[in-house]
Amino acid sequence: MAHQAHSYHMVDPSPWPILGAAAALLTTSGLVMWFHYNNPYLLIIGLLSTSLVMFQWWRDIVRESTFQGHHTPTVQKGLRYGMVLFITSEAFFFLGFFWAFFHSSLAPTPELGGQWPPVGIQPLNPMDVPLLNTAILLASGVTVTWAHHSIMEANRKQGIQALALTVLLGCYFTALQAMEYYEAPFSIADSVYGSTFFVATGFHGLHVIIGTTFLLVCLLRLIKYHFTPTHHFGFEAAAWYWHFVDVVWLFLYITIYWWGS
Amino acid sequence: MAGLGRGSRLPLGTAAPRSPPARGMAAAAHEDGGARMWKTLTFVVAVPGVAVCMLNCYLKAQHGEHKRPEFVPYTHLRIRTKRFPWGDGNKTLFHNPHVNPLPTGFED
Repeated sequence: MAHQAHSYHMVDPSPWPILGAAAALLTTSGLVMWFHYNNPYLLIIGLLSTSLVMFQWWRDIVRESTFQGHHTPTVQKGLRYGMVLFITSEAFFFLGFFWAFFHSSLAPTPELGGQWPPVGIQPLNPMDVPLLNTAILLASGVTVTWAHHSIMEANRKQGIQALALTVLLGCYFTALQAMEYYEAPFSIADSVYGSTFFVATGFHGLHVIIGTTFLLVCLLRLIKYHFTPTHHFGFEAAAWYWHFVDVVWLFLYITIYWWGS
Repeated sequence: MAGLGRGSRLPLGTAAPRSPPARGMAAAAHEDGGARMWKTLTFVVAVPGVAVCMLNCYLKAQHGEHKRPEFVPYTHLRIRTKRFPWGDGNKTLFHNPHVNPLPTGFED
């Protein structure tokens, strides 16, 4: 019986990386087909295959770690680096949209009426639903921390309660933002104000949905006893991502919603 | 360690008094107080904070719907360089006919 003389995980051959790349190709070309040739079918196939690859690849990782024990502390350290680098890349992604916002809002052009918000735009009141959304995300940061400590203290009932509350807060935020999008008196096509507002808050909203889904998966795993008080990196990664989403919202709120109104 | 035994030996979920949080969370096997503090913060600060903001939104909504402004066909607004890939190509994704005018004006 062969044993490895190192603490790394030499992963078994897997079809997911190449299928994931194929799914990405289907999705991007699908977007072209939809936008330019009015045909959504390739896009639908692309999105479906992307979801299937994600589900199966991550399921394999849970199998390799929780059920097969391949995630040694060394492997976990690598995963921590990976998550930190990924979140950093996401921070740069948002930085670009903030740059675009400041580029247009600090020196509003004559086409906009030389002012920000532009002539004809009624911005949302930052003290209304956006403030509630801020409270919701801050609260969810507290509840996810409560969940983390509960997991570390082996308190199953509280861990489940706290993580479930976090997921609910995430869903509440998304529902409120969707309502705000529908009720807003301005749209994405309303000058560069609309473009910067909806692209920045829209990508943020997408990240909230992703983060909520990640936390939901952790909740299901928590219920199925996958985590131990000292080994629960999946949960920690979800919590880091969630805090990142919260911080991006705080920047959005202060710059676009408040300063920009 | 025997004197500190109460903390981690209790059955899960029991609401027995724990060591004071002033001890800090540094002790390796005894993270007492960590989860309790965050649970307290959740129910005393976070949830009431959300409730107050909810109340604020509700009161503002009660205060009265604000009048729709007059439509002015500004060229920098309602830009339609390219058709949208859905519907008639003229409405944004979250189009609301009560508050979003088309380039030619309100539909209603």
